[in-house]
Amino acid sequence: MDRRAFLQRGLVGGAILAASACTLHAWPVQDRYQPQGNLQCLDPRTFVVLASIAARTVQDPVADPVAIAHAVDRTIALSAPEAASELRQLLNLFESGLAGLLLDGRLRPFTRLTPDRQDQVLAAWRDSRLVLRRAGYTALRKLTLAAHYASPTTWEGVGYPGPPELVEG
Amino acid sequence: MPFVSAAEWTPPKSVQVVVIGSGAGGAVAAARLAAAGFEVVVLEEGGHYQKRNFRMREDEAFPQLYQESGTRATKDLGIAILQGRAVGGSTVINWTTSFRTPDLVLDHWQKVHGVQEFGAAELRPHFEAVEARLNIQPIPLEESNRNNRLLWDGCEKLGYSIEVTKRNVKNCFRSGYCGMGCPVDAKQSMLVTYLPEAVEHGATVVYRCRVDRLRTDGDRVVAIECSELSEAGPTGRQLSFAAERVVLAGGAINTPAVLLRSGLGDAFTGRRTFLHPVIATSARFREPVQAFYGAPQSVASHHFAHRGERAGFFLEAAPAHPMMLALAATGFGEAHRSTMVELPQLTAHLAIAIDGFSPEETGGTVELRPSGAPVLDYVLPPRIWEALQEGLRTLVRVDLAAGAEWVQTGHDPALRISSEGALASLEDHPLGPGKVAVFSAHVMGGAMVGEVGRSVVRSGDLRHHRISNLHVCDGSIFPTSLGVNPQETIYGIAHLVSERWTQHWKS
Ligand SMILES: Cc1cc2nc3c(=O)[nH]c(=O)nc-3n(C[C@H](O)[C@H](O)[C@H](O)COP(=O)(O)OP(=O)(O)OC[C@H]3O[C@@H](n4cnc5c(N)ncnc54)[C@H](O)[C@@H]3O)c2cc1C
Ligand code: SF4
Repeated sequence: MDRRAFLQRGLVGGAILAASACTLHAWPVQDRYQPQGNLQCLDPRTFVVLASIAARTVQDPVADPVAIAHAVDRTIALSAPEAASELRQLLNLFESGLAGLLLDGRLRPFTRLTPDRQDQVLAAWRDSRLVLRRAGYTALRKLTLAAHYASPTTWEGVGYPGPPELVEG
Repeated sequence: MPFVSAAEWTPPKSVQVVVIGSGAGGAVAAARLAAAGFEVVVLEEGGHYQKRNFRMREDEAFPQLYQESGTRATKDLGIAILQGRAVGGSTVINWTTSFRTPDLVLDHWQKVHGVQEFGAAELRPHFEAVEARLNIQPIPLEESNRNNRLLWDGCEKLGYSIEVTKRNVKNCFRSGYCGMGCPVDAKQSMLVTYLPEAVEHGATVVYRCRVDRLRTDGDRVVAIECSELSEAGPTGRQLSFAAERVVLAGGAINTPAVLLRSGLGDAFTGRRTFLHPVIATSARFREPVQAFYGAPQSVASHHFAHRGERAGFFLEAAPAHPMMLALAATGFGEAHRSTMVELPQLTAHLAIAIDGFSPEETGGTVELRPSGAPVLDYVLPPRIWEALQEGLRTLVRVDLAAGAEWVQTGHDPALRISSEGALASLEDHPLGPGKVAVFSAHVMGGAMVGEVGRSVVRSGDLRHHRISNLHVCDGSIFPTSLGVNPQETIYGIAHLVSERWTQHWKS
């Protein structure tokens, strides 16, 4: 089963996905975290959702959710062509108020929740009995955390002195 | 023009031998065939990066050198898969641990899977030759970094056997960056050994050239169809040319994918893919560990490799740089951060399950996505979960015995265990897909060798059962995993089989 099938079958069925897709546009996403350049895989809407997730998964004083979302966008561009559309679908589902209502008892889109409630949504995906929902959480968590900690800006904060200087010769 | 990008290359009408993939299997085969006088072209989808490009940074190394930028995973995302994608393949980014194939494994292949002509005696001279060529030698225990040393100490305290490993390095200054490409060419990877040797003997290595499919007619490959790639992906230019013989060496997952895209799928192609699934611990020590520096792997314990009726596992260490730890550490937000800030004090120890030796362990299956990109569907069977659970328990005990303040597991949320007494809490947190971080750096199988009607390639010369001018020469031919790190097995088999080809093909 691919991730698309997971979204349609593994959760509460294709109906939710269809319905939530309609409601998506009725709820404007939070307008923080706008992209600051070209996007290769994400659209502006899913970009904001991803950056909002990064703002919760990555707790580091030097973290920049917009930079993280751009880095994930670049990473996915180097992956299988299917990865981009699957990530967008996953982010739309994560954001969706209707899916949220059915799955977690929330109506507000993810980007409009308070930080505490956002953390609860992440934890609900993590602790879900559905393997495939846990997989969605894992994907978002790993993509954002890896994109952040790949950056040398994080080194000092985690006590990593960086690579040795090479002496020519 | 020995190393040339697809963009600069005009294929001849026909090539004598095409080798697809420049990793452990492909490079050895290419060098041996070129030295024997064959006209050889190696096609590699990755880029040609060299020591000056290896700047020891995760943000550069992973997009440049890893399949899918390091994000490859099984279909249900349950297992993260590390595999290389560059001139030199995974050998450019591997951790240099070198083991000959255990005799027991070769015997099992013969008895259970009908593999002929790959016995220990036949392989021995080839292991010797490869060990000499790649300077494969034991690393003295005094040269272990603290991460490896603590694994050693913990095993010794508990009475578990443990040994130093061999490494394929020369003048290694033990930087710790093997996984990002060796910045001083100390690692004797294919990039600096067998590939230059192939080129000296007239071979051409064409990089950023992805083989999409083999066109066949009857029992022969008649054309190789490729895409020219740039750093960003396919440029749109297609290349097509003929070859008298094809050696497929794209590595597990990718080799079966080429076969499937070529319409050569059957009940065996892509099946029995094994991963040596890995579970990790991060243990905190009061004195700095600095698992990011030093030879990444220098000790290994096979104390639990044979557990009677149950699946075995072995223990090794791993390098830990910030991104690697970020992926291994579970949780999110403050919980995740609380692990990250401990980086200098943490070990990274692995329990590696040995999959494929019981009838229940059928491995994963490579499938194609609509674009033709492969994905591995592998849901671990209960026996392997049991081995991982026992491996995890063992690692926690070893880390505590070595003096850890606490040991963190890959559950999500993570468990922190600070005493033997608390070990029982592991039983309350059964492992399962998506419940614990599992990864693999050893992808094997998917185009297994064996008898007709049970496998993809035949014994002796690794020829495809149905296609007479197609051979497979990489880790995908294994009928099972190995129980040891795989690179030397692939070198040895490639070295042996290319000698056979030289004899057969000349006559
Ligand atoms: C991080 C890491 C650490 C490791 N550490 C160790 C270790 O310490 N010891 C050990 O023994 N093993 C280790 N391994 C595993 C070992 O490196 C591999 O098992 C081995 O290199 C596999 O050899 P191969 O020939 O099967 O494939 P690879 O070496 O992976 O080479 C395959 C090549 O084929 C190319 N290719 C694939 N498909 C196509 C196509 N369609 N067209 C053109 N080119 C294609 C790929 O880009 C790749 O470069 C490690 C692996 C990783 C990822
Ligand atoms: S540890 Fe040795 S072989 Fe590995 S990258 Fe550093 S110098 Fe090279």
